[in-house]
Amino acid sequence: MPDVDVLVVGAGPAGAVAAAQAKRAAPELDVVVLERDRAVGAPVRCAEGVGDAGLREFADPDAAPWVARKIARVIFIAPDDSEVRVAERDVGWILDRTRFDAHLAAQAVAAGAELLVGTEASGMTYTPDGRWDVTVRGLRGESTYRAKVVIAADGVEAMVGRWAGLDTRVPARDMESCAQYVVQGIDFDPDAIYLQFGDAVAPGGYAWIFPKGVGIANVGLGLVALKSDGRNARQYLDAWVGRRYPNGARTGYTVGGVIVHTTVPQTYADGVLVAGDAAHMINPLSGGGIVNAMKAGRLAGCTAAAAIRAGDTSARRLAAYHHAWMELLGHDHLKYYRIKQALEVLDDAFFNGLARTVNAIPQEQRTLGRIFAHALVKHPQLIPVAARFFW
Amino acid sequence: MLDGPAGGGYRSPMRRARAAEVAVVDLAVCDRCGLCLPLCPPEALHLELSDLVIDRQTCTGCRKCVAPCPVGALAMVDA
Repeated sequence: MPDVDVLVVGAGPAGAVAAAQAKRAAPELDVVVLERDRAVGAPVRCAEGVGDAGLREFADPDAAPWVARKIARVIFIAPDDSEVRVAERDVGWILDRTRFDAHLAAQAVAAGAELLVGTEASGMTYTPDGRWDVTVRGLRGESTYRAKVVIAADGVEAMVGRWAGLDTRVPARDMESCAQYVVQGIDFDPDAIYLQFGDAVAPGGYAWIFPKGVGIANVGLGLVALKSDGRNARQYLDAWVGRRYPNGARTGYTVGGVIVHTTVPQTYADGVLVAGDAAHMINPLSGGGIVNAMKAGRLAGCTAAAAIRAGDTSARRLAAYHHAWMELLGHDHLKYYRIKQALEVLDDAFFNGLARTVNAIPQEQRTLGRIFAHALVKHPQLIPVAARFFW
Repeated sequence: MLDGPAGGGYRSPMRRARAAEVAVVDLAVCDRCGLCLPLCPPEALHLELSDLVIDRQTCTGCRKCVAPCPVGALAMVDA
């Protein structure tokens, strides 16, 4: 039975960064990363957008092969199809997740971690001496890994946390059902991301166009099924893409769930740390989770390494991870979640009106802050929410 | 409404009544995205060698997994 110090389940951004960080913090540790899919980063279940500042904490995007496109501005599309351009500098990047995830995984391997692709964890039990016996199935058949700390970075399905007795369930109203095509041969601003709101387009969420190059983009949407008219996400997307880009070539297709909730109540147990999507560490307003996952992975790797060195991997010791995460971003997500709830009362007429108001502002003065200020003037009931957010 | 059985809300213990209906998956349509797993209050859904498996004994027929499936791979049948 392989005996390891840290077993990371999932080689996405959370797992890869956690493994690399654990190795860097304590090079003597045995760190193994399991990836269920046969290739790290594939299939892509992601719109691939990421903010500039957060990304730079972990990797330099300038001229990197895992970047698809630099983004300079955001274009909001109101339900009535009117567009609002927002001028921002260094907005962010559209990644090539197959390459980006492989890049992060390669960094973990370079730091000394072992990566096993095509290998999944299928269950685990806690031993009397405080280790986890994890059943692992893969190319080499079935085996049991004994680990001091298991880092659960297994994404939206979050099975590892469940095996450890943690509550990783999500209320249906906080699950965005997403579908996305890669569409080629279409006309749009390749330096902008487009976001469209509207009950007919994506109830409870938004639709997006994220450029991967000139004339090629991830075109997708996320919606809350409880607010839909009975159609599923793919049917909404077919209608939207069919209307906007009837002649575009749909050369790729993916679906998935984005949890727009707040961090799970407890992200740790004896010998277990949960990171990234598996712990619902997603910005509930934007649905973005890549940078959050990397930040959580970094914390989890550090915490695991220090705990193993100290000879104490109990829940009591690992709780430091949860507190560090909440301090870093978890409390912010609670605020964002309250804003999300407040925004749910706004209807299509509000967004159409806001678009007209904002378009009256000279374009170079249009910042997100000003747009938010106009929204508050039109909807004073949002002011208490804004106050809680900013103070 | 897509609500659970009486007395069995989210994050509260589900009453183990015998379900009249249970969820089934069409694996020809399912994309194995895992979205439905955390939606299941009694945790009757899991992925086994990447295929979605539904434990009929555990499913309470609450339907919470059905509408959110992005591709419509889940449906209810008589238990």
